[in-house]
Amino acid sequence: MRNGIDVDALQAALNAVGAQPESAAARKRVRVRWLDRLKFRAYVRNHQFEVDEPTHLAGDNANPTSMEYVLGALGTCLATGFVFNATQRGIAIGNLEVSLESTQQNYLVFLGLATAGHPGFDQVTAKLYVQADADPAVLRELWDHTLRTSPVGNSLSRAVTLTPEIDILP
Amino acid sequence: MEHSLPLFPVTVVGSWSRPSWLLDALRKRQGGRMTGEEFERVADQAVLEALRYQEEAGIDVVSDGEQRRDNFHSFVADKLEGVKLLTLAEIMDLVEDRAQYERVLQAADAPAFSIKNETVVDTIRPRRPLALDEFTFLRQHTKKPIMVPLPGPYILARSMWVKGVSDKAYPTREHLAVDVVKVLRDELIALRDAGCAFVQFDEPVLTDVVFNRDVKERTFMCGSMAESTGDPSRELLFATRLLNSVTEGIDGIRTGVHVCRGNWSRKDEVLLRGSYEPLVPTMMGMKVDRLVLEFATPRAGDLDVFARYPKRKQLGLGVANPRSDEVESPAFIVKRATDALQYFEPGQIYLNPDCGWGTFAERPMNTADVASRKLRAIVEAARELRRTVG
Repeated sequence: MRNGIDVDALQAALNAVGAQPESAAARKRVRVRWLDRLKFRAYVRNHQFEVDEPTHLAGDNANPTSMEYVLGALGTCLATGFVFNATQRGIAIGNLEVSLESTQQNYLVFLGLATAGHPGFDQVTAKLYVQADADPAVLRELWDHTLRTSPVGNSLSRAVTLTPEIDILP
Repeated sequence: MEHSLPLFPVTVVGSWSRPSWLLDALRKRQGGRMTGEEFERVADQAVLEALRYQEEAGIDVVSDGEQRRDNFHSFVADKLEGVKLLTLAEIMDLVEDRAQYERVLQAADAPAFSIKNETVVDTIRPRRPLALDEFTFLRQHTKKPIMVPLPGPYILARSMWVKGVSDKAYPTREHLAVDVVKVLRDELIALRDAGCAFVQFDEPVLTDVVFNRDVKERTFMCGSMAESTGDPSRELLFATRLLNSVTEGIDGIRTGVHVCRGNWSRKDEVLLRGSYEPLVPTMMGMKVDRLVLEFATPRAGDLDVFARYPKRKQLGLGVANPRSDEVESPAFIVKRATDALQYFEPGQIYLNPDCGWGTFAERPMNTADVASRKLRAIVEAARELRRTVG
């Protein structure tokens, strides 16, 4: 066990997935249902989560917005990738957090208050805070590798400037 | 003991960067993988190492480097019944308004797991002394006068009371403050009786009161989670009343208050900045002997804030930035002390860094090597001042 993960079981799972060529496409399906007002529920396999808008935009503020989920998804993807890669390399992690901050090029376009530009992310900063039993140079390289191989990171960074930072704590 | 000090005594503000083996032990202890006794044995060695650095640098009044503490105020969780050390990550799972803590973390440039807050979960009462054991150990290993830093009553009352967690024991922080004052007053008397030269009460959150516009926000100001009324005047009066309740009528020991603008990041731009001017009347009303203040960087403002209060109190003059690699020149330090002589007698001026070298165990601001070289520069400047002024 390393970082709470059964390393042998992980390796066996990787071998099995790697033996199936169709795994590369990793098809995903999500169904979204309108509940009420600006509230929605997304069904993913046997899971579900809800999305809302803040009260100042006529929502009930009962859940995060879609864009917040995207930012959260990037953060969790990067954190997952770091722990996944660290575990494979035999690195024990003590603590880990990713702090993200984004800006949108022109959110007013979505609200119908402007026409110039687009309302998507144009800048995301993702900072990793980590305590781990490894040389700082190894952890920096691991963070670079995580960014290069992040599914969500790649989905965004091909259109968005994604700025990574790392703070290795003693 | 203080009578034997030379002019311009050199001292510290408290903390020394912890060696990695001490941090390992601290994490094991906090994770329940090391007993308190085992940790104390490791910390003993770290204290002796911190002491050796200070003595070899030639300073006049030493501390134990706060080596046994997680940070300058959270350590009380070990010493008081009814107080638990919770990480900000744990607190965020307990409270409703998590967004305010995210703003705190952004401002602090810190992860939630690295910030620990002593949080009242029940009525507080002493389990063991706050710092008397630290003093007693150090006393056995040095002949030099010892300074002991303690968290001030204001920062403790603010930081320990967390809405949604603490209000079952104390309805308000003001109710909690009554018991905090009693604990600190008893500790001050115990340290006095044991022969301690100087007790410094750390109240860095006072700058937060006057510099942060929206003081209702919980802030990270030097680790304090900082519950506040949002009224600066009321907060300053409250802080003064609390500190005076701790020190009033206790003779035979020197006391001081340390106020800085933050020591949690090496990025100057995320720390508070501004003159001490709005705080000087408050500090002058505090019944303490010494004001321990930062004056090593332009961020700290100027010494002329004391023009209206000449020679009223001792000054612990901050002359070294604990967050930089560049060692201040003795000439710079001499100049700073000379500036202070416009408002203080030579015998009133102590020389010290702006703040500790490792206020937070997990976020040291400097290495022992740089800290040591900075102290040596201050010692050299003090010798020059004694030659020219003394």
